[in-house]
Amino acid sequence: MAAAVRKTAADLLAKTAVDLVIGYGRSSGGEIVPEFVSRPEQAQALEWNQDCTYNLVRYLTDPEVVGDAGAGKGSGNAASKSATASKAGVGKVAIVVKGCDLKSLVVLESENQVQRERLTVIGMPCRGVTDQAGKLLAKCEECPPDVYNPRRELCDLVIGEPVQRTGDGPTDKSAARKAEKNDPSGQSSPYGDVEQIDALKPVERRALWDGYFARCLRCYACRNVCPLCYCKECVFDQHDPRWVSPAAAVASNRSFHLIRAYHLAGRCVDCGECERVCPVGIPLRRINRKAAKVVEESFRFRAGLDPQAKSPLVTFATEDPQEFIE
Amino acid sequence: MSGSTGTVKKTGEAKAPVKKLKIVGFLCNWCSYAGADLAGVSRMQYPDEIRIIRVPCSGRINPLLVLKCFQQGADGVLVSGCHPGDCHYQEGNLYARRRMLVLRSMLSYFGIDERRFHMSWVSASEGKKWADTVRSLVEDVRAAEVEAQAGVPVW
Repeated sequence: MAAAVRKTAADLLAKTAVDLVIGYGRSSGGEIVPEFVSRPEQAQALEWNQDCTYNLVRYLTDPEVVGDAGAGKGSGNAASKSATASKAGVGKVAIVVKGCDLKSLVVLESENQVQRERLTVIGMPCRGVTDQAGKLLAKCEECPPDVYNPRRELCDLVIGEPVQRTGDGPTDKSAARKAEKNDPSGQSSPYGDVEQIDALKPVERRALWDGYFARCLRCYACRNVCPLCYCKECVFDQHDPRWVSPAAAVASNRSFHLIRAYHLAGRCVDCGECERVCPVGIPLRRINRKAAKVVEESFRFRAGLDPQAKSPLVTFATEDPQEFIE
Repeated sequence: MSGSTGTVKKTGEAKAPVKKLKIVGFLCNWCSYAGADLAGVSRMQYPDEIRIIRVPCSGRINPLLVLKCFQQGADGVLVSGCHPGDCHYQEGNLYARRRMLVLRSMLSYFGIDERRFHMSWVSASEGKKWADTVRSLVEDVRAAEVEAQAGVPVW
């Protein structure tokens, strides 16, 4: 498979169909890292295996990578921002995506943050990716077939044949895991982890989350890795007005996580990158998934499926629920 | 008045002093603010624990404003606008309805008692509804205060 990726990338670059290929490569230490290839002979550096965890879609809005074509990310540093903004765009880009990453690309497209016609999307059927210990990620254990085999109509190329996850594959593992747990408290629901927290009393939820938020360093890794956090000036970098204190205290951390989750409501595709990069192990997917659950139940909308769809919080329906309103 | 101590004592009762609440109400200019005005003109009695901020439309209310109130020590927040279909700007309240639904769920998820955050539709002719809304809001926030852990601030 890696050979097929290298050949595809080399071909695309050789016939100048694209100027840059964003894929996976190896660091000098041998770890899988994002790789940016702009010449056919460099394509040999590309890799594909079960360590390819990164969601590369994040780079499609990064001015450091795609120049003016990208929307950029709040840095708080005006000088560096203007420097990168003046960098010329790189033209056409090809990107290697897993099915789960593809969903975040769909959201970027629906929000007009990428010019789809300038992109070549290389879809990768995926057997699931692993963490540093070699264990399959939780999100991969739950991954449905229409995600681990990327939707062909959304890709320009799909490399290799569709994956069958059977035998000791992840699907069976997760079934076995569920049976083993024999936990009726919502394991059957797609939002079981969220419902467990919903079932707590307010004071218990407060104690639970404050316990996590007390650990938050406000390193902003979750924001910086998020493929959908592309604002040129992030609300957390604003000083006038300053909505949230930059101090890493529980109250301001709670504000930070609330706003971050709110900004992702109806947009987050649960790629799990935020939770993966969190240095203090805050279960960020459980926060994002709460917003996704509310949006799905109230507005019957799931993010990342339709490039033409509008984000549910920039639109409305006259029949929207209003039981909570007096 | 006992504003400086932050408590009120009801005369003739031997109860412990009840904490005077601070509740922020964001009212749209066209319906709810006029409704509250009508309640005042009609001399309806309702708790004085709400502070009203007039905004052009409930669709103007950025969730960050609600959050800021809690950050700054509000015990409760109310967002009030025109009934669906009556919005001066046609649809501002319908955007607000979606936003506030998600905000309320997320606040609740983080353990902020959802009784602290209310939304209501109050038209310019509903002075009585306004007074009733504030009364039930104050009751709800008080109930949330009772259940809250002692010494833990709202935010």
